[in-house]
Amino acid sequence: MKGPGNWPERASAAASTLLLGAIGLALFLAIWTFASVRLGSAVLLPPPVEVFWTYGELIADGTLIKDVRASIVRVFAGFLIAASLAVPLALLLAYSRILRGLVMPLVALIRPIPPIAWIPLAILWMGLGDPPSFFITAIAAFFPIFLNSFAGGTSLEAEHVNAARSLGAKPAALLITVMLPSALPMIATGLRIGLGQAWMAVVTAELVAAQSGLGYLIQISRLNLETARVLVGMTVIGLLGAVMIGALGVIERRAIVPWHYPR
Amino acid sequence: MARGVCEHSLRATESPLSGASGGGPISPRLHIVGGGEPAPETVEPKAGLPRLRLENVTIAFKGRRRPAVEDVSLSVGAGEFVALLGPSGCGKSTLLNVFAGFRAPTRGHVYLDEQPHLGPSARCGIVFQKHSLFPWMTVIDNVAFGPRRLGFENPRGIAHELLEMVGLADVADAWPSSLSGGMQQRVGIARALATRPPVLLMDEPFGALVAQTRALMQEELLSIWDKLRPTVVFVTHDIEEAIFLADRVVVMETLPGRIAREIPISFERPRAPDVTDTPAFIERRREITELIRAEARKVFR
Repeated sequence: MKGPGNWPERASAAASTLLLGAIGLALFLAIWTFASVRLGSAVLLPPPVEVFWTYGELIADGTLIKDVRASIVRVFAGFLIAASLAVPLALLLAYSRILRGLVMPLVALIRPIPPIAWIPLAILWMGLGDPPSFFITAIAAFFPIFLNSFAGGTSLEAEHVNAARSLGAKPAALLITVMLPSALPMIATGLRIGLGQAWMAVVTAELVAAQSGLGYLIQISRLNLETARVLVGMTVIGLLGAVMIGALGVIERRAIVPWHYPR
Repeated sequence: MARGVCEHSLRATESPLSGASGGGPISPRLHIVGGGEPAPETVEPKAGLPRLRLENVTIAFKGRRRPAVEDVSLSVGAGEFVALLGPSGCGKSTLLNVFAGFRAPTRGHVYLDEQPHLGPSARCGIVFQKHSLFPWMTVIDNVAFGPRRLGFENPRGIAHELLEMVGLADVADAWPSSLSGGMQQRVGIARALATRPPVLLMDEPFGALVAQTRALMQEELLSIWDKLRPTVVFVTHDIEEAIFLADRVVVMETLPGRIAREIPISFERPRAPDVTDTPAFIERRREITELIRAEARKVFR
């Protein structure tokens, strides 16, 4: 029953947050407009209005929807592949000293390699299109998810383990009923960062290894000097990424770690 | 209220009858399995046999010159309430971890119902000082955890009953983080008792509470103990708390941790809070305070 303030107070706090955000955005658009007028070149920097009309154009002819769909599929595929490998692996390593000794040095060596450096191998192995893009986004999302989950798994409280053991929990039950839930807050953080990384990587992958998607839209528009289209691609990525990460945050509070956010 | 202190205040470290080792009655691994209605009299004291016994236990930590605990022998009878009292660093919590099976002694033996005790077991419930509730489970799921792991019937029913006993049935669905420290410790006690362990080990359970809450918790613990009569080993550094709660106070000395003296406390039960004002209580407190002060001085030098 705790929480800051009653309902009207919280509603007005939310309203003022929204208002401030809107003012910030309006200021940004004004500066952008001013800058593009001063530059006087639609190739260097088209004004927001032109980008807005280009949105309409691209939605009307269906290219934007197609590219958005292609990118979202890649982000989700890579993200899901990464999460389903990274979380169990991280918890296993946190649990077993031997596995940890075997795998952690490899992780330390592979982690500094940026996703973009994997593109040549990805294309050699998988050609162009979806599979190499899945691979690149998965690589990008893997490490934040893995490292955060691992930190969550190793930060287990001795009291919790001892309490569970004295209440009859066997090793398998310890892993599932104690280690996993106690790592969940860190896993959730890793998932959010991983999703952000996946969005960044999908553009990288599509710039080189695909013939569709928002990265491809940016790349092809750049070659045609259609800067407004480049900006459409960029802003859609920002928008979609923010919405998805926000949605993941809501899921986190409601379903993954509700005890961290008692109402 | 209280009768005077009549027994001799010194007692041998080995309690009588502990020599009857060997083919003693082997208790089943779990006292009760299943049964939605946990019967309050699950802890039937076996005549004369100690429930817990330490035999010449020495515990040494790696990289430290002196052992934390040296050559401690101690017997705790079934249904007995023993307080382990001593200044910090005397190894009382270490000793409790050995009782719990979390740590094996470097030398010596631990017996539970005269069987070697080799690891954590649901027959020893533990209450920690703080922060031991699972924050990801609601209060009732915390209490039902043990019954679930052991496959009892109706774990939620058992949990609900225990929450009622500690007066917290109305916060069953709350997250532990939304409870006060005292409430969290009551949930901790309910959780430890939910598997109906014959032994309850408590590691300074009220040490982090404010004085007022602490006094109420002590009374509540005694009333719970009266209902279920588990064997209790209670670690504390609070002299008054030890005398008020226990049948026997085991005073420990430091460097190395050893038993300095065992002092029987024979005040009538149930004990009212005002027992602490009786001359006999004050005399006991004075006696133990002196003992501990001498001990502290020894370390101070």
